Amino acid sequence: MVALLKRRRRGAHPWPAFLGIGLAVGGLAVMAASRFVAPAVPYFPQWLAVRPLAYIGIAGVVVGLALAVGAYAFMAARPRNGGEFGDAGDWSRLTEQQFAAFQHDLGRPMRRILGKCREVRGVLAATGEDVSIAVHELLDEIEEQAPSFRLMMSNMQAMINLETPDAPAARYPVEPPAVVSRIVERYAGQAREQGKDIAWWSEPEQFGFVYSDAAILEHIIANLVDNALRYGGDYIEIGVQRAGDEFQVCVTDDGAGIPAHYRPHLFTRGWTPEMGRNQEKTSSGLGLYISRTLAHRYGGDVTVASVAAPASGHHTTFTLTLPTGAQF
Amino acid sequence: MANRSGDILVVDDEATSAIVRAVCQRLEAEGWRTRVVSKEAHGAADDMLWAALAAIDEALPDGVILDVRLGDYQDDQFKGLDILKRIVGRHPGLPVLMFTQYSQGVERDTVARSALQVAAPVEFIDKLASPEEVALRLRRLVGREPGNVVIGERIVVDTQAGAVRVRDAGGALHPVPDIVGRRFEILRELAQAWYRSPGNVVPFERLERYLDGDDTRASLRVRIREIKVSLGRALGTKLKANDFIISVRERGYRLAPPRG
Repeated sequence: MVALLKRRRRGAHPWPAFLGIGLAVGGLAVMAASRFVAPAVPYFPQWLAVRPLAYIGIAGVVVGLALAVGAYAFMAARPRNGGEFGDAGDWSRLTEQQFAAFQHDLGRPMRRILGKCREVRGVLAATGEDVSIAVHELLDEIEEQAPSFRLMMSNMQAMINLETPDAPAARYPVEPPAVVSRIVERYAGQAREQGKDIAWWSEPEQFGFVYSDAAILEHIIANLVDNALRYGGDYIEIGVQRAGDEFQVCVTDDGAGIPAHYRPHLFTRGWTPEMGRNQEKTSSGLGLYISRTLAHRYGGDVTVASVAAPASGHHTTFTLTLPTGAQF
Repeated sequence: MANRSGDILVVDDEATSAIVRAVCQRLEAEGWRTRVVSKEAHGAADDMLWAALAAIDEALPDGVILDVRLGDYQDDQFKGLDILKRIVGRHPGLPVLMFTQYSQGVERDTVARSALQVAAPVEFIDKLASPEEVALRLRRLVGREPGNVVIGERIVVDTQAGAVRVRDAGGALHPVPDIVGRRFEILRELAQAWYRSPGNVVPFERLERYLDGDDTRASLRVRIREIKVSLGRALGTKLKANDFIISVRERGYRLAPPRG
């Protein structure tokens, strides 16, 4: 019983056990009443002392005990450590714990690989050794995987967070231009390697603070920039502007544009343009889905406008709109 | 000639990890001077904390890079945070760039920031960031422009002397005679914006402050063309519309180092 109460405190629901115990106790009481109490008590109602009632009492005890034992065994079979997943919140806590461990284990070898790759560059620079340009290109290729890996990890983290339906939408003072410049810094190297150019501006120049979540903002914009680098043209422009009680971040690229028949699928979970061409997927197809879902959670949206003209003027713009948030 | 930007103290709780070593190399190539306090030299974490604080007291650096574990496990969760708090407590204005492991997630940044209780110039960067990204972030965090902004391989904008110099094949620097006065101020604005954050567009209004007349936009266009012609001549090349100073439609101009 104490164990049951303890488990109840941890979030499990032992009501079948309580029901069983209740039935058993009730059944015993009826049995006692029918067999022993009735003859001793004057004016005891005879209909309570009849045999069928005793049988009902016995049945109550048996069923009740079976229910209690079954329910207890079921709860005891659940893992104790971090495994009290009686509801969705507990489930996601467990998943989060496992994910954190997984991320850590995956991150460690990745850091070592990148660290060694950078060390090789350092050694080559220090010794001035004349190695083939192909070696440098291979090192660049390894390094280029880092931003994709980082985005993948953060997308996975976002997916976990999205599974927690009651997670509060945190709001702190954030400077969106600072977030944008951080992303430009992150992708500058990769863009240069690919011969692409990223420019950014904010309007007004002294943008000030908005009340939002810097991590979410960074996550969404990183996904949009990553997409533009992956599928867009050679020039990517990021603009941050205020519009009343909202602010917008537009990521525009001068690529060939997105064909009209692809546009309805862009925000579908798992969809990538390769699927329309029956080719192998080159990305998870989660970025835009996650971005829009997160934006919705924060009272905003991610939209797309694209001109896929055959000649000049083709471009694609993804726009993130979010409320500037109340000032407290 | 190195572009002397300042002095950076690097605190590393590993025996100078490959990533930190690469970052130091990159910073030194950019002209920063680096000092390293590592576990290798100072043993246990507590000793390292005091060694870091002593190094800061000895000569106040322009910025600190902190690569101490913010805690992979519950036990040492606050070890790195403790070092950060002590540094910030003693020097609230000192820019600190702290490495985080990716597994620690973005929430850890929020936790750390709220623990500081003061609006210190502290930023967090994930350990998978490239040395280039670390250097760029540090530039913006430290916020102090160097005397010389070196753009690409050959162009040096000397903001103190008010001159632009071009490096020849032998490494010698030659002044570009025509870029002076307003033309220099416009180039300085562009160079400093590029140094703080590459790709940042300087709005027309900011650049037009240096110009008089009715049509400052047209005047600005002319000055920019003059700068490109003069610099192109000094570099022995012709700077086209999408070279060096690039117009961004309806916004302003941005600078990009000449390719190649």
